[in-house]
Amino acid sequence: MQENVTPRDSVMIRTENLWKTYEMGEAIAVQALCGVSFDIERGEYVAIMGPSGSGKSTLMNLIGCLDTPTQGRYWLNGNLVSELSDDELAYIRNKEIGFVFQTFNLLARATALHNVELPLIYNGTPAQERVEKAQDALRKVELGDRMHHRPNELSGGQRQRVAIARALVNNPSIILADEPTGNLDSTTGEEIMKVLDRLHEAGNTIVLVTHEHDIAAHAHRILHIRDGKIDRDERVS
Amino acid sequence: MAEVGPTMIKRRGFVNLWVTAREAFWLALETLRVHKLRSFLTLLGVVIATTTLISVMSIVNGMNLYIADRIANLGSNVFIIHQWQWAQGYESWLKARRRNKPVRMEEYEFLKENLANYKNIGAEARMWGETDARYKGRILYDVSLNGTTPNMIDIGQAKVEIGRYITESDYDHSAMVCFIGRDLVDDFFPTVDPLDKEVTVRGIPFRVIGVAARIGTTFGQSQDKFVEIPLTTFQKAFVARPQLAVNVQAWNGQQMLVLEDAARALMRARRHIPYQEDDTFGINASETLMNAWRQLTGAIFAVTIGIVAVFMVVGGIVIMNIMLASVTERTHEIGIRKSLGARRRDILMQFIIESSVMAATGGAAGVVLSLIVSKIVDIFFTSSVPANAVVIGLVLSTGVGLFFGIYPASKAARLDPIEALRTEA
Repeated sequence: MQENVTPRDSVMIRTENLWKTYEMGEAIAVQALCGVSFDIERGEYVAIMGPSGSGKSTLMNLIGCLDTPTQGRYWLNGNLVSELSDDELAYIRNKEIGFVFQTFNLLARATALHNVELPLIYNGTPAQERVEKAQDALRKVELGDRMHHRPNELSGGQRQRVAIARALVNNPSIILADEPTGNLDSTTGEEIMKVLDRLHEAGNTIVLVTHEHDIAAHAHRILHIRDGKIDRDERVS
Repeated sequence: MAEVGPTMIKRRGFVNLWVTAREAFWLALETLRVHKLRSFLTLLGVVIATTTLISVMSIVNGMNLYIADRIANLGSNVFIIHQWQWAQGYESWLKARRRNKPVRMEEYEFLKENLANYKNIGAEARMWGETDARYKGRILYDVSLNGTTPNMIDIGQAKVEIGRYITESDYDHSAMVCFIGRDLVDDFFPTVDPLDKEVTVRGIPFRVIGVAARIGTTFGQSQDKFVEIPLTTFQKAFVARPQLAVNVQAWNGQQMLVLEDAARALMRARRHIPYQEDDTFGINASETLMNAWRQLTGAIFAVTIGIVAVFMVVGGIVIMNIMLASVTERTHEIGIRKSLGARRRDILMQFIIESSVMAATGGAAGVVLSLIVSKIVDIFFTSSVPANAVVIGLVLSTGVGLFFGIYPASKAARLDPIEALRTEA
């Protein structure tokens, strides 16, 4: 029986021997993760890097509480989340995780403001407070003058900023960015990385998932993943 | 920045659901607005069902009010012995025509002698066929010509406005006098005093002795186009052995039932009708009419419910299918919402509200349509929208949307967020 030791306050993420197995029919099982363990401290800037098929997407889904591991445990901000129900996972996602996706994943028919309001709607924040917080978040990413634009009226970089504002609006424990510059040109990509860098300086914990060296170099630590295992834990300046 | 230390996992209460519900409500209206044609086609079934339901309820309601007001007003505590029973259905009416015998003068005299304790008993004979009335070159067609006993003024609907009614003296002497309805006065005597003028009815002249107060119309037919003459005069001038309607007036409602039974017994005795056989005449009271009326509306109603139910179910299935398509279309969007913290019940609520709002809109459109239909029908016939019909229509259509939206909504709620996010938008 494993010890149930809650990690100390400064540890934001602890994964302990995470396994994820996908059953594809009777005989075949795919091991996407094979015993992954690491800690991420509060305020760290970490990149998870690996080729396709390495299991980095699976690991990201687990860290982002979109899925639960087949084996192993995962603590997020002191909560053991690896065994939660669907509803509880939804709550954790809402409160603790700020997602930034490669394809932005904004609601096409809603304004920037309404998109940023969404996480606040799902935790029952009343309307006036919602609007104020959403406006604040948009100003933080320098989109204060485009609040009422729809995504199709915004450039790629602006859309990603809306996504970042949405990720911030609930004061999450971690910002989880999956290939945030994948759909942007290199100039815009650099701008977005600067935004993330600034967020880190402001004290946020950032986990970046990427396969590009240039992007990973923004982080202060790179977890290299290969074939479902952590290959190398690299500290960068 | 997040709070330091472990956060409590709380159970979110109904407040959150209310916020989500409001968002879902506005989202539903927006979806309706954006997909106007698709929404219109989707809701056709529900709209038709609601319109039909309320329109039929309105027509029936209108007729009920109408009948209660006019026809049931045969005169208080009056029943009428006639050749047949009114409002009994076509089949039985045909049978009655064959086997029933008309009520004749002798039977009237017999009843007058032998029926005990009535307040009044009178008789009237109605002329069949076209009757025209003329005065100084003016002609009025389709006039009702009645031969009456003098006490009919006490029993029937008509009231004397000018002059007098037929008297015993007129009756005994078969006087050539007439009591006319307002339509004749409006047409023949717009500016002069009608009394003592001579009106020719079916070629025979009569002196006007009185005018009735205006009655009005029943089912579009004017009740004021009539000429009444003494029954004896009727026999002398037109029909020697007329068919009668014997009007019996009781002192009160209770007594009327007793009198009806007594009159029935007397008639059966006089006509030597054996115990096991039906009457060969009809006894009619407002109650008879109201009962027959209720049966008719009951039948109308049953058919309507059937039609409405079919349309509602069809409409509901259409809504369900459109919602299923909508869920598939929006799988990616559902994935985004779930990744941001939407629980199953949030997604469930969103889609159930959407289908309910859609259906309720269809119901509201049906209400508006039925109000228009009712106004139009009221011009030609009669129709009056009862408040409960509107409520029933709205509740029913919303319920249909809710019920048929459950399956698509639960499919949406059960989507896996990772799979949903992978789906192309």
